[in-house]
Amino acid sequence: MVIWIVILVLVLVLLWPDRGLYVRWQRRRRLLSRQAIEDALMHLHQRQHERRLASVESVASMLRIGTNDALGLVQRMEAQGLLTATGDGLRLSPDGYHWALQVVRAHRLFERYLADETEVPMEEIHARAHRLEHTLSVADLDRMDAALGHPAFDPQGDPIPTSTGEIPAMTGCSLVDWETARPAQIVHIEDEPPEVYAQIVAAGLGLGMVVTVVEATSTRLVVEADAVEHVLAPVVAANIWVHEAPQAAPGRPVERLTTLTVGEQGRVTALDPMCQGLTRRRFLDLGITPGVLIEPVMQSAFGEPTAYRVRGALIALRREQSDWIWIEAKGKEQ
Amino acid sequence: MNEGQLDNQTMTAPGPATAREILARAEALQRTMDVAFRDKIVESIYTDAEAITSRVVRQQGSRYAHLDQRIDRIVTSKVWGLPLMFVLLAGVFWVTIVGANYPSALLASFLFWVEDHGAALFAGAGLPWWVTGFLWHGVYRGLAWVVSVMLPPMAIFFPIFTILEDLGYLPRVAFNIDHLFKKAGAHGKQALTMSMGLGCNAAGVIACRIIDSPRERLIAILTNNFMPCNGRWPTLIMLATLFVAAAFPPSLAAIAAAGSLVLIVVIGGLMTLLVSALLSRTVLKGEASSFTLELPPYRRPNVLRVLYTSIIDRTLFVLWRAVVMAAPSGGAIWLLSNLQVSGQSLTDWTSGWLNPAGHAVGLDGVILLAYIIAIPANEIVVPTILMAYTSAGRMVEIDNLAQLQHLLVGQHGWTLMTAISLMLFSLLHNPCSTTIWTVYQETKSTRWAVVSGLLPLAIAFLLLFILNQGIRVFGLI
Repeated sequence: MVIWIVILVLVLVLLWPDRGLYVRWQRRRRLLSRQAIEDALMHLHQRQHERRLASVESVASMLRIGTNDALGLVQRMEAQGLLTATGDGLRLSPDGYHWALQVVRAHRLFERYLADETEVPMEEIHARAHRLEHTLSVADLDRMDAALGHPAFDPQGDPIPTSTGEIPAMTGCSLVDWETARPAQIVHIEDEPPEVYAQIVAAGLGLGMVVTVVEATSTRLVVEADAVEHVLAPVVAANIWVHEAPQAAPGRPVERLTTLTVGEQGRVTALDPMCQGLTRRRFLDLGITPGVLIEPVMQSAFGEPTAYRVRGALIALRREQSDWIWIEAKGKEQ
Repeated sequence: MNEGQLDNQTMTAPGPATAREILARAEALQRTMDVAFRDKIVESIYTDAEAITSRVVRQQGSRYAHLDQRIDRIVTSKVWGLPLMFVLLAGVFWVTIVGANYPSALLASFLFWVEDHGAALFAGAGLPWWVTGFLWHGVYRGLAWVVSVMLPPMAIFFPIFTILEDLGYLPRVAFNIDHLFKKAGAHGKQALTMSMGLGCNAAGVIACRIIDSPRERLIAILTNNFMPCNGRWPTLIMLATLFVAAAFPPSLAAIAAAGSLVLIVVIGGLMTLLVSALLSRTVLKGEASSFTLELPPYRRPNVLRVLYTSIIDRTLFVLWRAVVMAAPSGGAIWLLSNLQVSGQSLTDWTSGWLNPAGHAVGLDGVILLAYIIAIPANEIVVPTILMAYTSAGRMVEIDNLAQLQHLLVGQHGWTLMTAISLMLFSLLHNPCSTTIWTVYQETKSTRWAVVSGLLPLAIAFLLLFILNQGIRVFGLI
């Protein structure tokens, strides 16, 4: 009797539809093979981008699998019409190219999501997106794209392909090639290799920031951003892409909201481009938009937060939040 | 928005376009939008709203500049801000505890009178003793106990709290001590949800809705349990008067008892900050986070709304959930104490098995058993312990302190250390099932509901184990 119950329970656990161990194992296997195929597609796509050809060996070393497994994988993909093998190497077929673009899209959409809507540190975003990019169907991706407001670029400034596979053009040149003393806006930051990317993040440089090259030699670049000077190695600066900065009104004093003291008044000029997602939406909800008057009214006994009067309401912000808000000081209230 | 461009396109488009063409056009145009177009939409909405307001609303002077600002200067000042806050909160709790005593006793005697008569009626109708026992001395008695202990304090605490909320004072509290919570990676408004937790943890968890940042809200939900709710106050007060007060000379007894209760709340507050800091730096590191705190203008409380939100929304809602949870628990208690196996009741058996675990953390098997049965409602912990100690067939209360002391100290070997361990356990252990269920409702996540139950339990056991074993090893007591 007891034995039969145990067997029944075991069978149920194994074969339960949707949640049974067997179904889970199958799904995991499928995911693994999908991940392998997609990683291989990405590798081929990357190589093609660099105008080089991939080979079974390069796939094997990229995916960290044995050459035999890689050969099996390549043959499977060839049978599915995803790639063609010629004497000199592997090429993506049109189908394979389309699929690869969807993976690129998934990766960059996830990066956008993680950067805007979560607090995952910038240097971890790439690795997380790489794990997540294989989990969604194209229909799910379309929904995610819509929910994020159809972003055109990922947080590093790489263009996100559309659902039909179009890639918006990317402009700009490397910071190393930019002339000195001419303001430039950062449009793209290369996130590979991670060590270099981490240095850029640590320096506080981000997309949308306006920088000026102060001094450029063969060994170092001195860059000014937000009145702070950064010294970068050329190999680091080469990973930052810039274009012409939008003409800021010359001579206009630009300060952060944090610099205002109680009794002074300021006019909001902009929300920092680095401030995205939840915080930015909250600011907009509360009516903190460019052009609005803002005035610190009181400070908490511990020095933080500070309460600001804006549009007749009293809103307290911590230092981090008020640092995102750029203002033009108006002096004492009349 | 490239409005000009858009207008040109629609104006020069020849003939009616098909839906497909419009969609394709929209998609292409969307790509040309610059990143900030949403900001610009919001800006234009505000500009329109401002234009309309300036036409139809006339404002006479700035109200804030006068009265509100003067009040704000006092309640957020360096000198008066924090003391005022402590005095107000202490006052609220004093009024709640003192004010609830009499109605609680009245309600209890009425509800237990109903029990006696109901049981007599059943017995008179010739029903078997176990039907009467299970329904009246089990299910009903558990229910009555929870209602009489829980209802009066909540009916006093929630309206007062709602008045403070309605006045606009509570956001100022958050403003005053936000810095402390910021260091723990939490939100200043957590101070309010914690205060609410002192009334009832389930209500405190619901109150976490006021925190608009996902990470800080989750932190506030998971740590609310470290504030002792009014179901735990009777236990804490009993232990403070019976053991802590007894350890001091009579002239200091009352102060010592009150001080130990304050200390318990302070320890709870420290644990909240500690666990908040831990959570925000580890598992919740990646969750979205943002801080804005609105400080609404002061206004006269709306009595009807205060009564409605505090009585209907909070008191009755929480009470109903507790009743649903307490009834089965009352039944279980009766079964445990009345079912006999080999001449011993199930209570004796299970508490015997739990004894080693209990002794390891300075408690005993009966106390652990009471906490397991009392998962649905902490109010019945002490009655269940007393029931097990006296081998009564139902939950009992002993009003006479000398008699109680004789039972606990004389017959069951409780020491000051047992009392301290029990106070800490009562403070730190898992929340009641109502609260866990509320956590699930509020987060829609089984994972967080489980964490909210197991995390405090693990902390309680770990802390008590270290404390008791440490004292045993070093021979401090």
